[in-house]
Amino acid sequence: MEIVQAKGLHKFFGKLHVLKGVDLSVNAGQIVSVIGPSGSGKSTLLRLLNHLETADKGSISIDGEYICQENEWGQSVYRPGKEVLRICSRLGMVFQNFNLFPHRSVLENLCEAPVHVKGVDAKEAEAHGLELLEKVGLSEKRDAYPGQLSGGQQQRVAIARALAMDPEIMLFDEPTSALDPELIGEVLSVIKNLAAENTTMIIVTHEMNFAREISDRVIFMDDGQILADDDPERIFVSPDHPRILAFLDKIIRKS
Amino acid sequence: MGGEYLRDITLYIAEGVGVTLKIFCVTLLFAVPLGVVCALGKLSRLKPLHFVLGIYTWVFRGTPLLLQLVFTYYGLPYLTNQAVSFSPLMAAYVTFIINYGAYLTEIFRGGIQTIGRGQYEAAKALGMSQRLTMRRIVLPQAVKAILPPMGNEAVTLVKDTALASAITVNETLKLANRVMSRDFNVGALVIAACIYLLLTLIVIQLFRLLEKRFAYYSVK
Repeated sequence: MEIVQAKGLHKFFGKLHVLKGVDLSVNAGQIVSVIGPSGSGKSTLLRLLNHLETADKGSISIDGEYICQENEWGQSVYRPGKEVLRICSRLGMVFQNFNLFPHRSVLENLCEAPVHVKGVDAKEAEAHGLELLEKVGLSEKRDAYPGQLSGGQQQRVAIARALAMDPEIMLFDEPTSALDPELIGEVLSVIKNLAAENTTMIIVTHEMNFAREISDRVIFMDDGQILADDDPERIFVSPDHPRILAFLDKIIRKS
Repeated sequence: MGGEYLRDITLYIAEGVGVTLKIFCVTLLFAVPLGVVCALGKLSRLKPLHFVLGIYTWVFRGTPLLLQLVFTYYGLPYLTNQAVSFSPLMAAYVTFIINYGAYLTEIFRGGIQTIGRGQYEAAKALGMSQRLTMRRIVLPQAVKAILPPMGNEAVTLVKDTALASAITVNETLKLANRVMSRDFNVGALVIAACIYLLLTLIVIQLFRLLEKRFAYYSVK
């Protein structure tokens, strides 16, 4: 069952053509990694899916409900803002820079949206929040403020905060790119645990070993297009596109 | 100059302190919401509103407050054939609110703009509406950035209230002036100065306390 379906996506930033006709469909329970050089449009694709950016052409639907459709000239036409917001709240997003709310404690960060968006009872949200904190191994930090945590801890809180809304799909936008090397492992292992629970995930990442290990599918993007969409072994072991080979070569030589 | 004389003129001048405080409190009470609304207007996507608010802050920050006071009290009744005319105190209220609203608009706008895009995006990704994001995420954080410049404005306001004496409002400085010209004695001015010092000291301490209350978190 397709839970995310995007067709013919184009995105321009001014004159810059960032996405040049991208199709993507993800089934429930699937884990899809998106790799490729910086500037290839990976993050933009992810941000289009939950309406942090708007598409110029193409259509997107989440779990059968469209958020934008093409009109007769191919331009994307969005649903009313409120409906888009409702549909997109089924997607949880984890950012490169965490973006926790610094004026709220860890537990308050987790309860904010469930209580004020979904109208969940405060006590209930708190109990759920504590469960999630335990899952990411940060129960003892419930009353800390984000500014008192390490980057790795902040990112784990951010993952828990996204999970607190019970999303059907989790989107990760380079979740470890802003972290010191020694903190990357703790975040990746939290994501791996989620994978083991069959959470649907789309992960933009530069961690190749991680992508290879965790993904059902790997998508390679370059210059605003999807060059390959295949199982990880095919991409990493025997890529049939010279661009992929060159990219992997560069990454492996660097590490 | 005996102790009794000092006590008498102090008590007389102190009657003006009530008026000074009234202007101070009423101004803040109304100028703060006015500033918040105008700041949000300046940050909205409504281009014509930007223009109107730009004119507003330009005019009221770009002309002397004393001129604005005189204009409201003497100018408006003259121009409108008495259709719009205020008591001295009311004219002071109106002018101070509009004038300080203009300054606060700019301070609040600056404070709100210190909140990074990531906060808006995180809120949106969690399904929060723009209104909810403003109320729960942006404005509470903006307060922290706004408090120091706002404390400055409040201190300035304490002293600016003395300008109301120019339109015959019987506030602290007006009464001190009256004593001075009656008795040919500068003691009254010294007393007035001490009163202003005391008031500004209180305001400064109050804002220091407020800033401390918002120091519970840091932005990394």
